[in-house]
Amino acid sequence: MAAPPNLPPPDKLLEMAEQYLKELEKGPWPSHVAEMRKTGYPLHVYGVGLVARKSPWGPSAVKAKRLTGVLARIARDWVPKGGEEVHFRVFHTPGRFLPTSYLRGIIKVAREYGIGLVEVVGQTGAMVINVKSKEVGDAMIEALRQVGTDVGGSGDAIRELNTCVGPALCEFALYDTLKWFTEFRKDKKIHDAIAVPGFPYKFKIKFSGCPMDCGRANRADLGFIGTWKGAPEVDQELLRKKIEAGEADPNDLVSKCAGGAISWDAEKKELKIDGSRCKKCMYCIRKAYPAIKPGKERRVAVLVGGGSKGRYGPKLGWFVGYLKPDEVQKGIELVFKVIEPWDKEAQAKVRIGDYILMTGLYQFIEKAGIQLEDTPKLVEKLPDNVPYRVLPEEERKKYAQFAEELRRAVGI
Amino acid sequence: MSAIQLNIPNELDKFLPDIVKRNYGKWKERKFHGPGIIEHISETGERVFTVKAALPPNARVSVDTLEKFADIADKLGVGALRITIAGNVEFITDSLDKALKIKEELEKLGFPVGGWGGALWGINTCTAFLTCQIAVIDAPSIGKALGDALKPYFTGEEKLPAKLRVFISGCPSGCAGGTAIDIAIVGMWGAPPKIREEVLPLCMPPPKALAKIPESQVFLVQVCPTGALTLRREGEKIKLVLVGEKCINCGRCKDNCDAFDYDPKDVGAAILIGGKMANTGVGPRLARVLIPWIPANPPRYEEIVAVVKKVIDVWKTHGKPGERLADFVERIGWAKFVELVGAPKMAAQYLWWPDAARTYLTYRARGEVIFKGFRDAP
Ligand code: SF4
Ligand code: SF4
Repeated sequence: MAAPPNLPPPDKLLEMAEQYLKELEKGPWPSHVAEMRKTGYPLHVYGVGLVARKSPWGPSAVKAKRLTGVLARIARDWVPKGGEEVHFRVFHTPGRFLPTSYLRGIIKVAREYGIGLVEVVGQTGAMVINVKSKEVGDAMIEALRQVGTDVGGSGDAIRELNTCVGPALCEFALYDTLKWFTEFRKDKKIHDAIAVPGFPYKFKIKFSGCPMDCGRANRADLGFIGTWKGAPEVDQELLRKKIEAGEADPNDLVSKCAGGAISWDAEKKELKIDGSRCKKCMYCIRKAYPAIKPGKERRVAVLVGGGSKGRYGPKLGWFVGYLKPDEVQKGIELVFKVIEPWDKEAQAKVRIGDYILMTGLYQFIEKAGIQLEDTPKLVEKLPDNVPYRVLPEEERKKYAQFAEELRRAVGI
Repeated sequence: MSAIQLNIPNELDKFLPDIVKRNYGKWKERKFHGPGIIEHISETGERVFTVKAALPPNARVSVDTLEKFADIADKLGVGALRITIAGNVEFITDSLDKALKIKEELEKLGFPVGGWGGALWGINTCTAFLTCQIAVIDAPSIGKALGDALKPYFTGEEKLPAKLRVFISGCPSGCAGGTAIDIAIVGMWGAPPKIREEVLPLCMPPPKALAKIPESQVFLVQVCPTGALTLRREGEKIKLVLVGEKCINCGRCKDNCDAFDYDPKDVGAAILIGGKMANTGVGPRLARVLIPWIPANPPRYEEIVAVVKKVIDVWKTHGKPGERLADFVERIGWAKFVELVGAPKMAAQYLWWPDAARTYLTYRARGEVIFKGFRDAP
């Protein structure tokens, strides 16, 4: 990008940059500037960007033995003194648990080969570590491998997978998100698709243990969210105790139930839930756990096509069916089923959600061959703005036959 | 070893702390001990306490600080910590006493402890001017300015009706985590991009080839969703032109070619309200545009901070306990909410567009006319 107009002379610019940076070190919230001061990050470049109100970085390249996960930037020519920024996306551990022994290993690598700065969670879910210079890139990758992790997951590939904390720390997890996460990563095909870019655009996979969706799976290209069928399970005895102890309020449960599914029989002191109306909002469960628990018939809802970036803007995923909590392998197969038509037909830089918008959800389901429990099959609401289309011959025949039968039936 | 062979940390056993391993999937209850401390009780009778602290914007931490974290986790915790997707850090320990000590140590280091329940849970920002080449405004510094202003909501000195999260993205790509969030701040160029002719040839087919391929096959024409980028013939010459009225500032052209530039004087931020991911209340939804554009003035961004504080005030005053911002807006109605905030009258499009597309990025396929309403609206 060009230099912004009316930029002050270099000396003045750097001075102003420093003032801005100092301003960002004040106040009660932790400061990124204060942290970066302790590292080798070229802070003046960032400061100049703030003053210029324009990103100070331009594209650069780095040679490293990795196809994905390596990114480099170089300061624009209007940034006095210049600067360079090279960073690697480093895989996180399942649930992002960091034993201190492992963490200290990462710290050592970031110190020796890097500038001593770590973005502990980038928005893809990976860790981001800066490299000292382009030359030590390969050495850092080697060192990271010694610690037990690696670099990857950028570009038009499967990105770092994401999961909520799941059964490790949460009582609501309805399937083992961490197990799914690790099984997915171990799968050879998925593993290779993370390492090598080759799709029209990025592809994100996320896992959430329950409808609270802490893993933000609803906006993944492919999301898996734990849920159940029917009504939550009620332990009336335990619930009565909770109510007596003032820990739960039946009227509150009735009035705040998103589906209007709950009724309270004050005489019998019994809570009833109509499973067909339950929207799985988790309200009753969160308020009265474990007296009210998710239903026993556990499922993993599969969503396709969410994302914040793309041709048609941000979107949430579309529900395409249920898996059972132990059907990890089916989940993995599904990844490639879903990817196939998109990979074959979509233009470059079209996310799968955009592709589905263009194709139509039902056509997509057919093309991908998705056949899960409760996969939507019928257009529930017909679009009223697309009256015509080109019909294949067999379909035309079908209608001709229909007219013929009708003709006979009404006797014309 | 070949480049494709990755060494991915996969073994659950190796990374889960022992106490978590012993109680994996056996949790039955949770209790809060003031802001930022949660207790999980297991069927086995064991208890785990988690202390949550805010990290600097973009979760950028120096190794010196990380080392101090590791020391705390070794001394007072179970020898492990956890990073959350919201960019917070969580320390795990086995007694309330130790949890309180961890809180003390973290606060001494300048990392506020808080989150959970009716509080600010965290502020996510993309990297913007720290590394990104297409960022329009700098998200981390806005995150810092907002964090300073909203800290009492994180640490619990001031209560909120329900969970609040804030995402700040430097541009419409939404790398901070999209717009399905309570409050999203998104960088906007304000005006259509300018094309730097001298850079453009790098992204276009050579002139001879260009003359032969159909317009629809030219990559830059393809990526523009509204048809704002088209080819024009001027005698022998074929030129890429940008029709300003059609442009919706989505930034896709800029994502794909460095020739698209903007003037910093037009740049600002859009503020979107009432998105969320959880299935609670009215269910998951994308946020809606409340303010299509306000100035983004570094380093303290007073205008943005003011709008966010006002939105929170309205919600705090009128929201019911437990009501997420999205649920609150749904209950009182968007028009009423806008009135309460006192925002200027906005383009009709922002008011009536359906859920799936209630964002500033609302648009349709190339060639449709919806964008017109966008530009022409008062
Ligand atoms: S989960 Fe939500 S919708 Fe279902 S019964 Fe409980 S409160 Fe009602
Ligand atoms: S791609 Fe987006 S930003 Fe670029 S000209 Fe088209 S509408 Fe405008």
